[in-house]
Amino acid sequence: MPPSREAMVHRGDEDEVCPVCKSSRYLNPDMRFLINPECYHKMCESCVDRIFSSGPANCPVAGCHKTLRKNRFRKQTFEDIHVEREVDIRRRVMTVLNRREEEFDSKLDWDNFLEQREEIIFNLVNGIDVAKTEADLQKYASDNMRSIRANQALEAKEVTSFQERQNQEQELARLRRQAAKEEYENERKEILAGREDVLTRLASGRPADAATIAREGQRVLLKKSSARRSEEERIRLKQAALRGTDAKKPGQPAAAAEEGGSGLIKGLRKIKTPEPEKAYDPFGGMVPNQRDYYTLQDHYPSTFLDPVRQDTRMLAGGYDLREYYSRTLLEAFAGLGCFIDEEVSKREGNAFNTMKPVGTQGAALAATSDSQAGK
Amino acid sequence: MTEDDFYRTSSQFRLWSFTEDSLRSLRQNTNSLASDRVRDALRRAREARQSANSSAAGTPNPNGSDADSKPGDEKDIECLTPEEEQELVRYYCEQIVQLGESYKPPLPTIVRATAIQYLRRFYLTNSPMTYHPKTIMPCALFIATKTDNYYLSLRQFAEIVPGDTSAEDIIAPEFLVMQSLRFTFDVRHPFRSLEGGIMELTAISQGLAQPAPHTPQKTADNLQRTMLSLPQPPNTNQPSSAASISDRLARAHHNTREILKSAAQMTDAYFFYTPSQIWLSALLLADRPLAEFYLDTKLSGPKVDKSPELTQIRTKLLTTLNTCAILLQSYKPLASDPDQKKALRRIGKKLYHCQNPEKVNLAGQKRIPAAAMAAAAAAASASDPATPDSEMERLAKKRKLESEAKRRDDIFGGELVMERTRERQG
Amino acid sequence: MAFSPLVAPSPLATAPLKKSAVSGPANPVQENESFPQLQGGADREITEQLNDEVRHKYIKAKKLGEGTYAVVFLGHLRTDPSSFVAIKKIKVNTEYKDGLSMDAIREVKYLQELSHPNIIALHDVFSSKDQNLNLVLEYLPRGDLEMLIKDSNIHYGLPDIKAWMGMLIRGVWFCHENFVLHRDIKPNNLLIASDGEVKLADFGLARSFADPYLNMTHQVITRWYRPPELLYGARQYSGAVDIWSVAMVFAELLLRVPFVAGNSDLDQITRICEAFGTPTEDNWPGVSKLPNYIPADASHLVPVQGRDFFLRQFPTAGPVGAELLMSMCTLDPRKRSTAYQALRHNWWASEPRPTNKEDLPRKAGGTKKMGDDLTRRGGELDDQFKNAARQLDFSAMKA
Repeated sequence: MPPSREAMVHRGDEDEVCPVCKSSRYLNPDMRFLINPECYHKMCESCVDRIFSSGPANCPVAGCHKTLRKNRFRKQTFEDIHVEREVDIRRRVMTVLNRREEEFDSKLDWDNFLEQREEIIFNLVNGIDVAKTEADLQKYASDNMRSIRANQALEAKEVTSFQERQNQEQELARLRRQAAKEEYENERKEILAGREDVLTRLASGRPADAATIAREGQRVLLKKSSARRSEEERIRLKQAALRGTDAKKPGQPAAAAEEGGSGLIKGLRKIKTPEPEKAYDPFGGMVPNQRDYYTLQDHYPSTFLDPVRQDTRMLAGGYDLREYYSRTLLEAFAGLGCFIDEEVSKREGNAFNTMKPVGTQGAALAATSDSQAGK
Repeated sequence: MTEDDFYRTSSQFRLWSFTEDSLRSLRQNTNSLASDRVRDALRRAREARQSANSSAAGTPNPNGSDADSKPGDEKDIECLTPEEEQELVRYYCEQIVQLGESYKPPLPTIVRATAIQYLRRFYLTNSPMTYHPKTIMPCALFIATKTDNYYLSLRQFAEIVPGDTSAEDIIAPEFLVMQSLRFTFDVRHPFRSLEGGIMELTAISQGLAQPAPHTPQKTADNLQRTMLSLPQPPNTNQPSSAASISDRLARAHHNTREILKSAAQMTDAYFFYTPSQIWLSALLLADRPLAEFYLDTKLSGPKVDKSPELTQIRTKLLTTLNTCAILLQSYKPLASDPDQKKALRRIGKKLYHCQNPEKVNLAGQKRIPAAAMAAAAAAASASDPATPDSEMERLAKKRKLESEAKRRDDIFGGELVMERTRERQG
Repeated sequence: MAFSPLVAPSPLATAPLKKSAVSGPANPVQENESFPQLQGGADREITEQLNDEVRHKYIKAKKLGEGTYAVVFLGHLRTDPSSFVAIKKIKVNTEYKDGLSMDAIREVKYLQELSHPNIIALHDVFSSKDQNLNLVLEYLPRGDLEMLIKDSNIHYGLPDIKAWMGMLIRGVWFCHENFVLHRDIKPNNLLIASDGEVKLADFGLARSFADPYLNMTHQVITRWYRPPELLYGARQYSGAVDIWSVAMVFAELLLRVPFVAGNSDLDQITRICEAFGTPTEDNWPGVSKLPNYIPADASHLVPVQGRDFFLRQFPTAGPVGAELLMSMCTLDPRKRSTAYQALRHNWWASEPRPTNKEDLPRKAGGTKKMGDDLTRRGGELDDQFKNAARQLDFSAMKA
């Protein structure tokens, strides 16, 4: 059992005394306290050494029967042990429920997930429905092992590649950043100058003006820093755009729910095969030389064309019969499979077609000209 | 991109391709709007004269300008039908061929064909009752010389245009024509297509062809053998032999080309079919066994049979080519058809009475407003500027003169082109 | 008096004027009734109605630039003020007696047919009241390649050059696939869209090609980008002419100055010989038969430059890039890469990968530049003089 709230409220006062051996920091200034996240009972380092060095043992605090291991003792980060515990729970839940925003179909689903996660944390922290919650979490963890790992890996990669990427970005955005930096410098100087100005004005002004002057100075600073922020924002966006492809490259989030749904979480995207970055297509998506009706040859016999083949001047100018072959054959078959009666009646947007129903449109036209011709 | 993708992006496909129904209703619409307008204009002209007569009472009406159109006339005005308009436009398309022939050297077939299509496109949204084809035709041809890179200066061009048509008259409706063409100048013709097809057929005949993408089984040998054993087209009695295959191709080439230069231009083929369908249909007419063989080299065999899509295209294509061939076959050249000539004369007379008087000079004044203003001002001061109906009067006079001039031969000036051509050739 | 022939037949342009002209005399009421259409504008052909429909789709906002040939406006869709367009209004040239100029005809003719991400899109064409031609073009606010090349504050690297070249060659390839020669490729005709896409613009000198026995003019392509066969007066040529220009743009992107910048046609050919080698019957069979061929001084024969030269001259391109460049500026047009071959080159697959178009370096002030670019008359004469002037006055280049 974790210590009761009551019991811990007074902890702060007793901070200087080890609740186990009762030795006091007053006598031993080097004394360090440790906690174990099993029960969060605090004891001094020497007690931990003494009790747990020979293997797992029960917590020495009266009434607590948790089995503790020495290697799990650590320093307390937060002064308030409740915070300490909540943070630990949060960390544990988050490593399991580590879905990423891009895995959700909508912003709403993502928000719902965040809320659900908070609720789970809240329950665990406050001991509500702990058994069921833990079981759910456990089940989820084993069902979604793969995606959890993948997302962990992704996160790790993001962290490790951050520096790397930043270098790259810096290279790419060197000039822009240079400019921004200069501006920043200038602004800083302005701020300093502004401050000095305020100070001098304060020094020389009447005391009643002090507030006004200070406010003014503040406003100027604010204005400038918001300008700077928008510049920073612009750079950040730019860099994000630059990163865009790179960031995606490390791998799409390890796609949603394995074997038909994660159970616990709703609104996950259907599994999509991650799209690898496409190779650059010099033709921009068009397929060259796609033909249905002919195979272009390098040579066609033709008495009409024979003089060209002999004409050095024409050939020296670059005239190329292959272009003629290619054009005539293309034109021989371009539109062979376009059946106008079908396609034209289907399509829309042709201004003439809007006039098609003579009965209506024609009458409308006639009507407008009549009415405008006005009696 | 496949062959068809290239055609689908063309303005010809996007803006100038129609189903029979949509084309008919477009023409119908144009015709009825123009007819309404002609009736209104003639009514206004009459009313203007009446009001002028009453306001300028006492002024003798010079030259009896009312002779041609008495107040009662307008009630009986019979406007052209869409069919009559089409006949008329076709006549002027034939005139383009003639006019093109009279240049030295003659204007290229492509330039003339482009001009013909411009004229045909122009009269989809304009009526001959509004803009007389005789003023639009030379302009369409001149635009075609520019858009098809056969550049002549307007002055050079105008020299050959018959009648007293000045360079300014020719260029005057340019903007109007371009606007009616919806600023699309590219016309996709079947002529180069024909060259491509004949080129490939020649390669096949010499055993130098490569199989088409969907018929990989057809080797050069196999293609050549099949071609050499084709039955002769029904209307020839040449013996079938390898030696004559080049003659056969040359004949098919020539006859197909003639169809493309005439029937394909003078009918609605360009509006209903794509250039590749048109030339293959023409080839069907020129040498059916050869055309069918050629299609087979593209769309027959196991691979095609296995693909429902290709089989479907093949079936549709055969139907389409046959209907297109029937359309092309329906063409009768004007010169060989006295009935048509008679009908044209009648239409010409009719048009004379239902020409929109307000538009007679409109084209001219649109292009170069300043020049037109000056001309109009000059005209105005030449006649009595105080006469309120000077414009109508002037038109009436002009009409009278014109009709007298034409009476010699035909009612519309375009025939002058033929005369001029005859003179030049004589 | 009641209505003069001066104004009557032109209802559109002079409507207000007409009204005042008409309304003076004795019985105004009747006249207004007699000629209602002249005032109402209902008397319009279908064509005019269609035209008006198009015209009313757009709103002209402000003038971006004005040249002798055209005025360019920034405009937007009436229905959507955020969808910008550039409206290029072509001035009716009253001195030009042969009707609409060839530049305008060519530009409209080819842009109506070509639709590709690397070719400026022509959304619509309409005529305005004064019978001017208005081309509604894609709005390209980020200037042109010339601007980037010449701005020493802009730093760009090989991945950027590769991206630009890829877009340029794709555009040219598409033109050639549709059998259209551009004939005026140069950095200031390569405009940049807001997403960084490079677009081939100014089709005022374009024409279709591939027919045999048809003479074409050799007086095309701005001199520094003009291939040797045109300088030698060839009248039959191919897509290779555009490829030479592309290669010169490539070289200029690498060097950030024009690579062979002659100040006359003769000087241009001399510089080409110095740079790439002297054309001879050996390296270019038939060259001596070209109309304006000038036999080279035997004592000044420069051998055709090989791979080493290109590597030395263009170290930034890397060996593969230098090889592609070399293949695109081969003297003999028959041996020059086609656009298709250039796109098949393994430079595109080799490192570094081309920059994504959104991340390419950019520069402000592009809108005005678009205005300038679109008002310039295509290609030949006056541009040559401009270039000559520019060459002398480099400070002017930063404009």
